[in-house]
Amino acid sequence: MPRSRIVVRDLTKTFRDDGREVAAVDDVAFEVRDQEFIALVGPSGCGKSTILNMIGGLVTPSAGAVEIDGVRVTGAAPRQVGYVFQKDTVFPWRTVARNIAVGLEYRGVPAPEQARRVRDAIGLAGLAGFEDAFPATLSGGMRQRVALMRTLVVEPEILLMDEPFGALDTHTKITLHAELLALWEARHQTVVFVTHDLSEAITLADRIVVMTRRPGRVKEIHEVKLRRPRDVIKLRESEAYAREYGAVWHVLGAEFADRA
Amino acid sequence: MTSERARIWLWRVVILIVLVGAWEWLTGIKAISRTPGLYWIDPFFVSRPSLIVKRFAYLASDQVRLSIWQMALSTVQSTLWGFVVGVSTGFAAGLTLGRNARLASVFEPYIIAFNSLPRIALVPLITMIFGFGLLAKIVLAWTIVFFIVFFNTFQGARSVDADLIHSARFLGGSDRQIMRTVIVPSALAWTFASLTPSISFALIGVVVGEFLGGESGGGLGYLIIQSLGTLNAGDMMVALISLGVIGIVMALGIKQLETRLLRWRPEYRRGA
Repeated sequence: MPRSRIVVRDLTKTFRDDGREVAAVDDVAFEVRDQEFIALVGPSGCGKSTILNMIGGLVTPSAGAVEIDGVRVTGAAPRQVGYVFQKDTVFPWRTVARNIAVGLEYRGVPAPEQARRVRDAIGLAGLAGFEDAFPATLSGGMRQRVALMRTLVVEPEILLMDEPFGALDTHTKITLHAELLALWEARHQTVVFVTHDLSEAITLADRIVVMTRRPGRVKEIHEVKLRRPRDVIKLRESEAYAREYGAVWHVLGAEFADRA
Repeated sequence: MTSERARIWLWRVVILIVLVGAWEWLTGIKAISRTPGLYWIDPFFVSRPSLIVKRFAYLASDQVRLSIWQMALSTVQSTLWGFVVGVSTGFAAGLTLGRNARLASVFEPYIIAFNSLPRIALVPLITMIFGFGLLAKIVLAWTIVFFIVFFNTFQGARSVDADLIHSARFLGGSDRQIMRTVIVPSALAWTFASLTPSISFALIGVVVGEFLGGESGGGLGYLIIQSLGTLNAGDMMVALISLGVIGIVMALGIKQLETRLLRWRPEYRRGA
């Protein structure tokens, strides 16, 4: 049994809204094993991004705690954690190459090694020829590739991803799934991936944490029994995929059904 | 150059020729200035283009003690100094207060109070303290430029996207590094928007300073006041036209710099 890298312990978050305390996340607990790819799925507003923000130390829990490698997260982001936002967070004033280099720059990596690693990353992401382009001239998919490579180039062991492909069209999204899986197969980072897209979760994850509607609780933790490495296109046509989809949809569907 | 641009330039030149021609022609007709209400269409009040050229040649020659070149240089020099000092201090203050909410609310009433003071009212005080020279003019320009740049940078520093800062933090950025690589470039875009008005206001500050500064301060403002004293419309027009040219050249220079430094913004990309 591999050790747990992330322990989410009885996490609760309440927000003040108009003087009233509103619970966004209610008593959520799960563990993420080393090198595991976990997806957090639930209806919008169920607090899944809030949970990710608490794991990353961006939001302070109202109760409960997050531990990463046995150390309680309090505020500042732990060194071994990388974070990819849903929103476009590439620096618009830096070129593609200089965006990807920024984390290496922060960590004082010597210039020649920076150049080498940036070149490798650009090759991996299929961004060759766009090194000196400013983000404003790129498509949304390319900008998100830059954001992803910028995070991966500093080699985080733990990767937190907040609907990173949420704003992209289906085609670009599937292409990026394939790229992300290829990159993940090479390094096996521990990943927590937030999404409301069930097929995305099944394609990528080892286990899916299914959340209830607000206030978010863990409804079920579903194991995705699909062999790796996965081919994102063939996968969708397979019977096993359909079975997984049906199983999770059944659990998740109930959350939408009893809304009325 | 496209034919559309050529046509625009043609019209610009035509308008200039018509205006200058009308000025020259109308001020030559004595009957007009004797018409009630039109007394001012007279070389005594508005000079004439041919006369202005003559006065310019005279003021540019070495027959005068203080040539138009020296005066223009003095004005440009004070304007640029006021601009540079105003922009750098305004930027530093805007950045500091923009990133420190407590400091900002402590200083808020003082800043609003000082900024609502008409700067012209300060001229006598500044003259009392700094005398009639270059320094007084620079200080006057500074008091105006500082606030323009300050308010813009302040807004810019406050509205830096929090997620950009978070992502920089996750990439390992220290506070200093984040300041340099995220907050400053982000705020600079706002600061730049204030540079063109700043250079114009710096020029206003300097000219007002020169009105009061006397000969030791020199400058084109001095030439204007002196021309008023001697009722010399020709010299006054020379000074005004020179100021116009200086203003345009400086504004174009700033625009050039802005386009270069903000080339990452889509609205500054040419072609495409």
